[in-house]
Amino acid sequence: MNFLAPWFLLGVVAITGPIVFHLIRRSARERMPFSSLLFLRPTPPRATRRRKLEHIALLLLRCLGLLLLAIGFARPFLPQSNASPPSAEAGRQMVILLDTSASMRRDDLWSKARKIAEHYLHEAGVADRVAVVTFDQQPRPLFSFAEWSAWPLGQRPTLAATRLDAVSPSWAGTHLGLALTTAAEQFSEAGGAETSGPRDVVLISDMQDGAKLDGLQGHDWPKGVRVILERVDPKHPGNAGLEILDPAADIAADVRQARARVVNTKDSSREKFQLGWNADAGAMQVYLPPGQTRTFLAPPLPTNLSSGQLHLSGGEESFDNTAYFAASELEHVTVAYFGSESANDPDQLRYYLQRAFPETSRRVVSVLSASNSLVETSLAVIPSSLDADQVTMLSGWLKSGKAALLVLTNAAAGPTLAALTGLPDIDLADAPGDYALLGDIDFTHPIFAPFSDPRFSDFSHIHFWKHRRWTIPPNLTAHVLAKFDDGAPVLTQISIGKGNLLVLAAGWNPADSQLALSSKFLPLMQTILDWSGSAAPARSQFQIGDSVPSPTSSGAPLTWQKPDEKKVVLAAGTPFTDTDLPGIYSVTMQGSVRHFAVNVPLDESRTTPLSSDDLARLGVPLQTTADVPVVKTVETKRRALQEELENRQKLWRWLIVGLLGVALVEIMLGGWLSRRVTTVEVAA
Amino acid sequence: MPGAASTSVSSAPVRAFADPKALMAIRNLELRARVVVEGFWNGMHRSPYHGFSSEFTEYRQYSPGDDTRYLDWRLYARSDRHFLKRFEDETNLRCHLLVDQSPSMSYASLAYSKADYVRTLAATLAWFLHGQGDAVGLVSFDERVRDYLPPRHRHGHLRQLMLALERGSEGRVTNLGEPLRRVAELARKRGLMVLLSDLLTPLDELESGLARLTAAGHEVVLLQTLDPNELAFDFSRPMLFQDLESHQDVYVDPGAARGEYQRRLADHCRRAEAICQKLGAAYHRIITDQPLEKALAHFLRGRRRRNKLVRRHVRAMSV
Repeated sequence: MNFLAPWFLLGVVAITGPIVFHLIRRSARERMPFSSLLFLRPTPPRATRRRKLEHIALLLLRCLGLLLLAIGFARPFLPQSNASPPSAEAGRQMVILLDTSASMRRDDLWSKARKIAEHYLHEAGVADRVAVVTFDQQPRPLFSFAEWSAWPLGQRPTLAATRLDAVSPSWAGTHLGLALTTAAEQFSEAGGAETSGPRDVVLISDMQDGAKLDGLQGHDWPKGVRVILERVDPKHPGNAGLEILDPAADIAADVRQARARVVNTKDSSREKFQLGWNADAGAMQVYLPPGQTRTFLAPPLPTNLSSGQLHLSGGEESFDNTAYFAASELEHVTVAYFGSESANDPDQLRYYLQRAFPETSRRVVSVLSASNSLVETSLAVIPSSLDADQVTMLSGWLKSGKAALLVLTNAAAGPTLAALTGLPDIDLADAPGDYALLGDIDFTHPIFAPFSDPRFSDFSHIHFWKHRRWTIPPNLTAHVLAKFDDGAPVLTQISIGKGNLLVLAAGWNPADSQLALSSKFLPLMQTILDWSGSAAPARSQFQIGDSVPSPTSSGAPLTWQKPDEKKVVLAAGTPFTDTDLPGIYSVTMQGSVRHFAVNVPLDESRTTPLSSDDLARLGVPLQTTADVPVVKTVETKRRALQEELENRQKLWRWLIVGLLGVALVEIMLGGWLSRRVTTVEVAA
Repeated sequence: MPGAASTSVSSAPVRAFADPKALMAIRNLELRARVVVEGFWNGMHRSPYHGFSSEFTEYRQYSPGDDTRYLDWRLYARSDRHFLKRFEDETNLRCHLLVDQSPSMSYASLAYSKADYVRTLAATLAWFLHGQGDAVGLVSFDERVRDYLPPRHRHGHLRQLMLALERGSEGRVTNLGEPLRRVAELARKRGLMVLLSDLLTPLDELESGLARLTAAGHEVVLLQTLDPNELAFDFSRPMLFQDLESHQDVYVDPGAARGEYQRRLADHCRRAEAICQKLGAAYHRIITDQPLEKALAHFLRGRRRRNKLVRRHVRAMSV
């Protein structure tokens, strides 16, 4: 029999207690009341008298009770000769989740995390299967179970460490929720047949407060998965960081003015900071108590610069103390209108279209009559029939990846629709009846997605007095975005080449419908313009990992330049996704250069460690033993095996049962002896 | 002197008395006393109600106006002078029973304690004296006087006395000096003082207390009551002995300590007896395994002897 906590066996020494008490008690118990001690002198006990133990059975029971208690506390277990480490018999599966987010750049967190990961790799048994997934905003498998199993036995840790060498902390944010669920999926992908052993996710992270935990709530964790937390902590807690907000409309007059949001963590020991541009001496003092976040109007960008670095000094950590700023530039968008009516006639479509795109600080939308060139056009609106030349021009333009909105204002638009879609004929007619209302709407489509909230999704009050009914030919690739209550399509998306044609079955002029007069009209037109792809607002502030839309969807390829001078050439219309470094980026198109800034997400600056309770509350199956030793040795491994054996056998329960039995017998015997002694004394 | 003084006790061989153990099994104290006294009377040859109650004390010269009934005509015939015979006052005996109720009296090696025995003895004496028409009072004490019933002979008084005897004591120690001093103050008229105690206390104050009583003209009888085991100290094993009064523990090996204990106790008793002899008080040692009738007989025999001595002394003085 072995013991898990043998030092508790020292409790056996307590057996001397009852023995001594049984010796002492003998004289102490016999107290004889006597009328007067006037004539008695104390007699010292005779040294030669041999002490005798009384009630040997009682003493033995008490000693046995103490013995059982001591052995029970020592957690005994029977060693099994055929027992082998759990890794050998069951094959442990372990996914090491290694945090590579920007906050891991602090102090020596990364080297600590590496060390822990390498320890786990070295401790993996022969039958163990290990996979490593690094994560920041996105999880990235470094190697899978299959790769690990394929490596030669002795070289697995070395090869895995070599893979780890290529990894370093990025500048991106942390999506812990996604990382954990991805790690759990690794087990499912590994196959259920081999999952008899423990399945552990070792999460090595700084567990920063700003990590996203989306997707954890209600996640269906595979059976038997345990998450072991290995938190790495910096030497000095606390951090302050900043981000520059997108210039707001109300300060459009001065686009060089930036707003900075500064966060100071709860565990920070500092509260006074300086905020200034580049090495500018005119830094402003910022007072921010720990645990608070405030927004400050930064000093204006020096006039000779279009972009700059806003520095926050005075914080504990420096990785997030620089925010890059690029002054936003005004974007001009052109909507081509293929109608001839006056822009001031309220009975016509153009009147309302002209007013659907108000000028903002970032974008000026011009609704122009269609010309022969559509190069600068973002969206084409077709309110009437087109001639053959226009159809040809528009078809080519659409096929290059553009978008147009065809409004069926009358049944004569049928040939135009057919020509644009490339079909010989389309059956189009005025729909009978008084009016129609909107029925089904696909709120998952980008055009209607902004209306998906129940507060905005009510289109039922818009009456369509007249509309055109057309049947979608089976050979036409079309997606009906909205239908009338009688099932006829209202808004249909038809793919033409790379581009899209939207077909609206009724006009928004008062004669056709109440659409232009409803509150839905302006947002609908905006979403259509945004959806057209080429007219995305020209943002100048991005975060690491964001996709930057191409400023133009057609024309010559664009040259994107990163802060490290690396250049990437992408076709017009292809978004730029390589935003992995903070700094000022530039994109060159047709001789003009546009700048935009990419920054570390502010959430990375919230470095206060998350509590394990937060994860447990979200249903993450954390390992019950709170403190998993960071450094595992052969001894700890052996101990783990012993603990498992002991946990399985639970011999201490039987010892406790035995102890209770002994206690019961002791009480009964003690009571009987006490009564017997009293009876004898009375009889005497 | 009337009453007890005139009572004669048979000197016949000791008959079978009531077993104290059986007697103490009777719960009612008054009944116990009655059993003892009636058993005791059954053994007497004469009735206690036929005694001569007037005692001659002295002669006085006749002066005009004196009652001529008391002229001693025989003396006149011999000496031709007129003398009047004077007798003691025709009062009944006034007896105080002084009962020790201290915790040391609660020791019992028998089925009953010394206190039980002393209460029964006191009740017996009270019943006996009351039956003779004497006034009986009670003083129960420990370190001070707990109960005081002045000597009376009237209906219901005996009942009150029994109730007072049955009441326990909350005292902690025995102190003879203070109670005896207090009794001397309370008992103005001369009478009989019967002190029932184990006297297991330093005797310095006993002497002064008894002296105060005898000086006041009281007749004192001391009945030292001891448990048989207090005399024999019959314990076999060494153990802790706890003083019933001080609750002090002393480890004693009886085998080794018995001899010295008995010697010291005997010295103590002898000293108490010597004090009584010195002060003219009667001393009797009563062991609680003795029949109560025997104790009563001791008491009465002692009193008769003393009264004879007194009468002889008075006559000698008058001649």
